[in-house]
Amino acid sequence: MDMPDPEELEWMESHGLLPEEEEEYAYFDDPDDEGSLPAAGAGDQPRVAPQETTAAPAKPAVEVLEGNLKRPPPPPPPEQEEERSKRRNVDREDSGDEDWLRYSTPLVVEVVAEKAISRFAIEIRGECIPVTAPNGERVYAKVATDGLDGGGIGGTRERTRVSKPNFDHNGLLSESFHSLTSRAEQEALAKALQESTETQNFESCPVTPLVTEQLWVEKYSPNSFTELLSDEHTNREVLLWLKQWDSCVFGSHIRATSDDVLSSLRRHSSTIQKNSSNRNFFSKSKGGPVTSQDNMLQNAHGSNSEDLTSSFNKRSSTDNAPEQKVLLLCGPPGLGKTTLAHVAAKHCGYHVVEINASDDRSASSIEPKILDVIQMNSIMSDSKPKCLVIDEIDGALGDGKGVVEVILKMINAEKNNSSNSSTSAEDTQVRKSSRKGHKIPKLMRPVICICNDLYAPALRQLRQVAKVHMFVQPTISRVVNRLKYICKKEGFKTSPIALSALAEYTECDIRSCLNTLQFLNKKREALNISGFDSQVIGRKDMSKSILDVWKQVLQKKRLKRIEKADSNFSRDKDINSLFSLISNRGDYDVTMDGIHENFLKLSYHDPMLQKTVKCLDVLGVSDSLMQYVYRTQQMSLHVYQPPVAITISQLVAQVEKPNIEWPKALQRCRTMLLEKKDKLKTWQNQMSPLISRHLSVESFVEDIASPFFHIISPSSLRPVALNLLSEREKDELVQLVDTMVSYSITYRNTKLEPQERISGSMVSPDVLSLSLDPPINDIINFKGYQSEHIGISLAMKQVLVHEVEKHKIIKDSAGKLLNQANEGGKRNEVSTSEKTSALVTTKGFSKINPTTLKMQLSSASSMSGKDPAKKYSNHGINFFDRFRKERPVVAKTRNDAGQQVATTLRDSRPLIFKYNEGFTNAVKRPVKVRDLLL
Amino acid sequence: MLWVDKYRPKTLDKVIVHDQVAQNLKKLVAEQDCPHLLFYGPSGSGKKTLIMALIKQMFGAGAEKVKMENKTWKIDTGSRTIEIELAMLSSAHHVEMNPSDAGFQDRYVVQEVIKEMAKNRPIDAKGKRAFKVLVLNEVDKLSREAQHSLRRTMEKYSASCRLILCCNSSSKVTEAVRSRCLNVRVNAPSEDQIIQVLEFIGKKENLQLPFGFAARIAAQSNRNLRRAILFFETCKVQQYPFTSNQVAPPLDWEQYVSEIAADIMKEQSPKRLYAVRQKLYELLVNCIPPESILKKLLAELLKKLDSDLKHEICHWAAHYEHKMRLGSKAIFHLEAFVAKFMSIYKEFLVSTFG
Repeated sequence: MDMPDPEELEWMESHGLLPEEEEEYAYFDDPDDEGSLPAAGAGDQPRVAPQETTAAPAKPAVEVLEGNLKRPPPPPPPEQEEERSKRRNVDREDSGDEDWLRYSTPLVVEVVAEKAISRFAIEIRGECIPVTAPNGERVYAKVATDGLDGGGIGGTRERTRVSKPNFDHNGLLSESFHSLTSRAEQEALAKALQESTETQNFESCPVTPLVTEQLWVEKYSPNSFTELLSDEHTNREVLLWLKQWDSCVFGSHIRATSDDVLSSLRRHSSTIQKNSSNRNFFSKSKGGPVTSQDNMLQNAHGSNSEDLTSSFNKRSSTDNAPEQKVLLLCGPPGLGKTTLAHVAAKHCGYHVVEINASDDRSASSIEPKILDVIQMNSIMSDSKPKCLVIDEIDGALGDGKGVVEVILKMINAEKNNSSNSSTSAEDTQVRKSSRKGHKIPKLMRPVICICNDLYAPALRQLRQVAKVHMFVQPTISRVVNRLKYICKKEGFKTSPIALSALAEYTECDIRSCLNTLQFLNKKREALNISGFDSQVIGRKDMSKSILDVWKQVLQKKRLKRIEKADSNFSRDKDINSLFSLISNRGDYDVTMDGIHENFLKLSYHDPMLQKTVKCLDVLGVSDSLMQYVYRTQQMSLHVYQPPVAITISQLVAQVEKPNIEWPKALQRCRTMLLEKKDKLKTWQNQMSPLISRHLSVESFVEDIASPFFHIISPSSLRPVALNLLSEREKDELVQLVDTMVSYSITYRNTKLEPQERISGSMVSPDVLSLSLDPPINDIINFKGYQSEHIGISLAMKQVLVHEVEKHKIIKDSAGKLLNQANEGGKRNEVSTSEKTSALVTTKGFSKINPTTLKMQLSSASSMSGKDPAKKYSNHGINFFDRFRKERPVVAKTRNDAGQQVATTLRDSRPLIFKYNEGFTNAVKRPVKVRDLLL
Repeated sequence: MLWVDKYRPKTLDKVIVHDQVAQNLKKLVAEQDCPHLLFYGPSGSGKKTLIMALIKQMFGAGAEKVKMENKTWKIDTGSRTIEIELAMLSSAHHVEMNPSDAGFQDRYVVQEVIKEMAKNRPIDAKGKRAFKVLVLNEVDKLSREAQHSLRRTMEKYSASCRLILCCNSSSKVTEAVRSRCLNVRVNAPSEDQIIQVLEFIGKKENLQLPFGFAARIAAQSNRNLRRAILFFETCKVQQYPFTSNQVAPPLDWEQYVSEIAADIMKEQSPKRLYAVRQKLYELLVNCIPPESILKKLLAELLKKLDSDLKHEICHWAAHYEHKMRLGSKAIFHLEAFVAKFMSIYKEFLVSTFG
């Protein structure tokens, strides 16, 4: 017989120390019965008579055997427990007098103690088997033979043997182990009854007094992987992920988990997954939120596990860490996330280092800590690698962020490193990575983060890089089983129905269940199903995510059959739960926005729209209330917000699952509104104050915008050369340019938008279009609305751009002129002449004198002949474009304008026209190479 | 320059539409002093024009040299310091600003900024005016608190400063402020007056106006002078010489609202309401004030409505506009109105046609 598994030992330990008791009895009772013998420990009893060897070794052996045979892995099945307790009860009834009990047991044991048990195998003659007691003591027990058996057996033993003649192991046992166990239990009972005798009590049952000090939650927290209460599949996924670190962390292949183990793990988890999906299907009949969560989880799992398997397959050849370096466990409190992390890490041979919300978690203080964990090996303990568990990472926003930042930095460093340099496999190994110093260290140890709210803003980035696991509630039966087991252990009487009700009430939060039970136990009250609300059961201060709130509001709970009977009651309950849900969330503004955004999409029956009207009315009330509260700062009035949501819920909530969307529209509306207002304001600031003072944003949008765009895109203007325009057209053009300048509008190159490109089939892709700058024409672009505005042609726009540009320059210089007065003197030719021309032109504008206008126009066009070199190079329009308008200009100067104009032109312009008859329109002008390069 | 700006009367003498008001104002400032003034009237009726002309009348051409500045005010409120950025237009003699731009902090603007400026007496008293003029636009958008703090300022610094307030609706200005001002009602110009103006501009621009053209534009403008002039110019740009039945293109947003109205009349269901909501958002995003949307929507709906229902619908429109003022999320109330309309209309349809 080998050493029993640790878990079995553990179980034995928790099941009340039977072997020890026996031994103790032996010690104590020896002298009484056999006065001649010195009271010696069981260990030094070499003198034992060979005939009596049988029963003694049987004692521990029986226990071990029983452990092996009868007991399934913990938690033990309740049937056995029950059976046992029944038996115990029976026993109690039978044995009214304790004296008998006390007497009978020692009698047997005393006989036992005489036999061949020894710490040393040599001291036992014949065959012997090693037996290890739960306290680690190892003794050797002599194997009895049938023949020797008969002699020293007392009457009791004979009786039992007769009663169980068919027992297999009677070679070892002097007596059936059933009777032994029952007797042992009797003893335990007897001891429990004898609580007055303290010393004995303390020695025999050291656990009981501890109950008062230790929380049940800690006392019964699972210690091994198989004891975990959380969802099997999740557990395995976590384990799988941890196992993938093996090759990286432990380095050598010896300890690395072999592929087939992993694959079998994976296979197993996938089958589990299927199972769980089935289970989910069934659980759909129970309450809504669970189902939806399950579905979400399902999706997450599906994708995750696929990812993982594929990524693992890819990388399994190279010794590397898994693709996702961080595991993010999230789920409501009390489901055992932290426990799982600890247990799984221990199971995989890590030393767990936990950082939780109680620690200082600013980025600066956390970084060295993390470095410690991921780089150093502890010399102190067992030199196990460390595994970092960051608990409640979403907890405090500011602090949590620090951790997230550090981790992200490390992950990113890793990525960059592996992408830009060919890091050899060795480099990625931990020990080598410590060579850096200046570099940001890589993440070479598993990091498990735990959070309650996956969608906390602090986690946004982490979510993308981490492997996310949602925790689901364990099934109620599982929780109840465990609770039952614990209650039994604590001797707390409960009914399974009450336990399952409790589990349901706390949403399978095992921690809260246990605390409640312990509390009740302490108060010596029974668990009462009906009075959960009145009882002191700790209601969690649940603040659910806002999406859940919306879901709850807009989704009616499917009534169970029982509840249908008293629907009034359940309605009450619904309202209460909604109220607390919403008020716990608190963020009424967003809550209402979300309801408003989503309620119309529900398919409620409302032929006359009365429900809709009612809903919108109460939303309006909520809005007014909100405004009032903000204005008067009477926050206590917020208490009236949840009823608004409840009203809506009662009106429109449907059984089917709503498709909840985040209320983007309203927020988008707000930001866009501000943006546009801002844009218009800045635009106004560019105008001259004489105009902008009369132009508020509202009046512009309401009255001016539409006509304004009509006015600045006249249909009558033809995109022809300026000289071909009639007087009136020129007049119009001048006026238009003047308008554009005074409203500080011009056209600007923009990339064609894709849709425009499709519609404008004629336009070749490399031609840029011109659009208004600032883009105030957005203001009349409504979605799904075709405005009647006709855009002016591209060529016309180009003309306008030039004109406006030129006009601005003229205006500027005119302003300069006014400011500077006539300082005259040392001005170079260019500036003075420009000034004079500017003066002329501005005068022309004010008078609208046709002749000066013509001149101005022509000068303008000739000037536009000057500009292009710069302008066009900027705009990148193709080469020949620039001649389109210039050639006519030159032609005009030659033919149309006549000699008089030409001379005035020449005098007023700073340019020198070198005109060679016939073909060229070359302009001589000093240009720097730099300008050409642009 | 647009005709709106080009033919804006610069002096009180040249005012066409409100010539009576202008004359009274002229008499008012002919003496050395004048009281605080509150101009109110619908938009596009010429309040600003009158104010500017008045200021010019007071201070002469010097008031026309204005500069725009964005000033940041640091205001210490005891517990914390607030920074308010405010654009203002100022000349040597007057300052124009829009205190409601500061949003919910408008109180501080009134308390600190305006007080600060009101305190400073203009130095050169040798001119005719010993006071400064503060023009506050959109006073009706000021919060109640700001208006309350305004009234003390008005009294205390009346020696050195005159306030000219300008707003659309005097009902939103508190009684206390109103009683401290000389109220000047600038009503919307009648169509005849608009025609007069248009003909004046036509003459200046050397345009031939066919008979009835000006009247048509005036009717289309909804007694809004600014709109009328802009329509006029639009028509001119689009087609000149004018044809006998030419009309200006409608305003885009109004067109869009009438599309919404048509949608509403076509179908009444939550689904349609959802579609309408998207369109309303579209309007709101483009800075159209929700009040205008509601008003226009009501007008469009009334056009198509049976006369039995008109009264009720108007009642509800008023109801929801009131609610809208109380709240901050205009879309809730607009939508509530639309839903209410749909509900009433559908009931009506069902009861009439079975």
